[in-house]
Amino acid sequence: MLLNPDRIGMACFGASYLLSFLLELAYFFRPHPIFRTAAVVLASAGLFAHLVFLLVQRIPIVSSQGSLLLLALVLAIFCVYGALHHRHLAWGYFVLPVVLFLVAIAAMFPPSEKDPEGIWAALRGERFWGLTHGLLVLAAAVGVSVGFVASVMYLVQVRRLQAKLPPYRGMKMLSLERLESMNRRAILWAFPLLTVGLILGAILQFGRGEVQNAKIVGTVGLWIAFAILMFLRYAIHVRGRQVALWTIVAFAVMLVALLVSHGEAS
Amino acid sequence: MKLLLVGCSVKKTPIELREKLAFDGPKLPAALRELESRYGVEAVVLSTCNRVEMYLARAVDHAMPTADLIGEFLAEFHHVAHDALTPHLYERDSQDAVRHLFRVASSLDSLIIGEGQIAGQVKQAYETAHVHAAAGPILHALFQHAATVAKKVRTQTGISRGHVSVASVAVDYVRQVFDHFDDKTVLVIGAGKMGVLTLRRLRDLKPRRILVANRSPEKAVAVAQECGGQAIAWDQLDDALAKADIVLSTTGAPEPIMTQRRFNEILPKRTHGPIVIFDMAVPRDFDPAIHDGDQALLFNVDDLKQLIDATLKERRKHVAPAEEIIEREVRKFVIEWTRRRNGPIIAKLTQDFESRRRNIVSQLLTKLDGKLDAADKAYVEGAFRLLQNQYLHGPISALAEEAQEPGRHTLLDALRKLFRIED
Repeated sequence: MLLNPDRIGMACFGASYLLSFLLELAYFFRPHPIFRTAAVVLASAGLFAHLVFLLVQRIPIVSSQGSLLLLALVLAIFCVYGALHHRHLAWGYFVLPVVLFLVAIAAMFPPSEKDPEGIWAALRGERFWGLTHGLLVLAAAVGVSVGFVASVMYLVQVRRLQAKLPPYRGMKMLSLERLESMNRRAILWAFPLLTVGLILGAILQFGRGEVQNAKIVGTVGLWIAFAILMFLRYAIHVRGRQVALWTIVAFAVMLVALLVSHGEAS
Repeated sequence: MKLLLVGCSVKKTPIELREKLAFDGPKLPAALRELESRYGVEAVVLSTCNRVEMYLARAVDHAMPTADLIGEFLAEFHHVAHDALTPHLYERDSQDAVRHLFRVASSLDSLIIGEGQIAGQVKQAYETAHVHAAAGPILHALFQHAATVAKKVRTQTGISRGHVSVASVAVDYVRQVFDHFDDKTVLVIGAGKMGVLTLRRLRDLKPRRILVANRSPEKAVAVAQECGGQAIAWDQLDDALAKADIVLSTTGAPEPIMTQRRFNEILPKRTHGPIVIFDMAVPRDFDPAIHDGDQALLFNVDDLKQLIDATLKERRKHVAPAEEIIEREVRKFVIEWTRRRNGPIIAKLTQDFESRRRNIVSQLLTKLDGKLDAADKAYVEGAFRLLQNQYLHGPISALAEEAQEPGRHTLLDALRKLFRIED
């Protein structure tokens, strides 16, 4: 067989994403369309390998590695979609480093064992609610990550406007209004998902009588960061740079929460 | 291919003379017809406010009019003294003419490098020549290639990035901040002439409403009527600033009308997004300290002019890569054209050898009829074909090599004479 899915490793798609990012950088210095096209092709190849890896290697989604890789996969989809949809905008510069960072951390936390039954078996029986909790928290994590990317882009755009740089110098960016709206929507979607996910998680833990302190502290910490973000935005109408900075803080808390909670679970 | 360009441009020719040389209205078709009937050449005339250029082409074997003759034609056609015109004319031939057209179409020869208008003007000139049957195979190929080169230069370098007028740069900035405009309010303060063009460009964005504030209510009403806006009283300025998304200020006030303290009092009343202010007044209307790059973005005339300078400087960085592309494309065009010209000669040469070989082999096989079996006949035919290929390999390869050295046609002429090939 030409392509053996069992041989696809994290290095495969990690290298594809890295090369794609380097090509984006090359495009920044020499805006030849071939660089951008090659970057999108490599990111798509990485995405395919990433998906095959998750399906074939049966990494448990509830492990640190599984959830980080799934989060990276969703962001990679977001990146490729963005690159195809807004071909002239600088998506790769911002999303690919996050994807690479998540893959790198995932590589540092291998799961203790593979999921013998695979992802589909988890949809049956008592594991269903556990998986639902995990997926809700993961969807919220995707929202925070998208909000994070939008916030970083927002801050870069603000920096350029502050310095009154020519609009076409360097990378082409979305408008402040668009980035702000992207951040707002991502957080608005993420907050209820996180809240429901947390309630479900708490019911499951107390039901089983196995209380994991680190997991509770991590996820409650994330929820509080979110709640502060919502309060700042809707109660006291904080806007722009400050909201962007708070979203970045929420993203950092989320990463810590993911690692700490899964660390104890494993 | 013989190619000649004669023309003049803004770089050397004053506007008084360029005006006289313009091929406007019915003059252009008349000139194209005249060039064809007088000199039997293919012709494209590019006539813009910055240049008048005549591109003439003819097949290799035919005589081409000299640049001096074309200069005389130009003078006669426009009733200008030839002596007065000659010092302003420039001429390019063959590969240099190709290069010149590619540079012009890519706007490397323009006053404002990277401007987008010239590519369209070149295309228009070609289309006019095409409609009037003045462009033949050489100029078809040349101008179509020029359009491709211009596109390549535009997309593969940053030479056309950014805008170079105050109004366009202002709109570029607004687009960096806002995504859509149907819910935005534009506030115009004052009625200065400086902001007229910018206001026109802002109005093109189709904002939800335009408010006009002026110390003189009559002037406010007049400006509001002109731009389809709504006049407001001068004492409502602070409230209007709290609602506005884009501000265009052009008062003639000797002191700033908006200090940082006054603006800071307005800011808490603003519950929506950022505000972009274009202060086109001199002396300035807004305190520059208001600019924070996040919720208040303030640009004055000097900022916008500096941005234009920066854009032009940025564009100049892309001239060298653009020249590289042009040099590559000139070579490609000339080689491609030479190959195209060599094609029929090679075909005739091959056909000639082929028919001679067939005759000789056929005579030989007739004489040897009955003495050779099928395998021997095939061997004889193969041997003669091999001989033919070996003989032709040298001349064809030499022609291909000559195609790599544009401007040389000696071998082609020699082959025509040596093998008695006629067109």
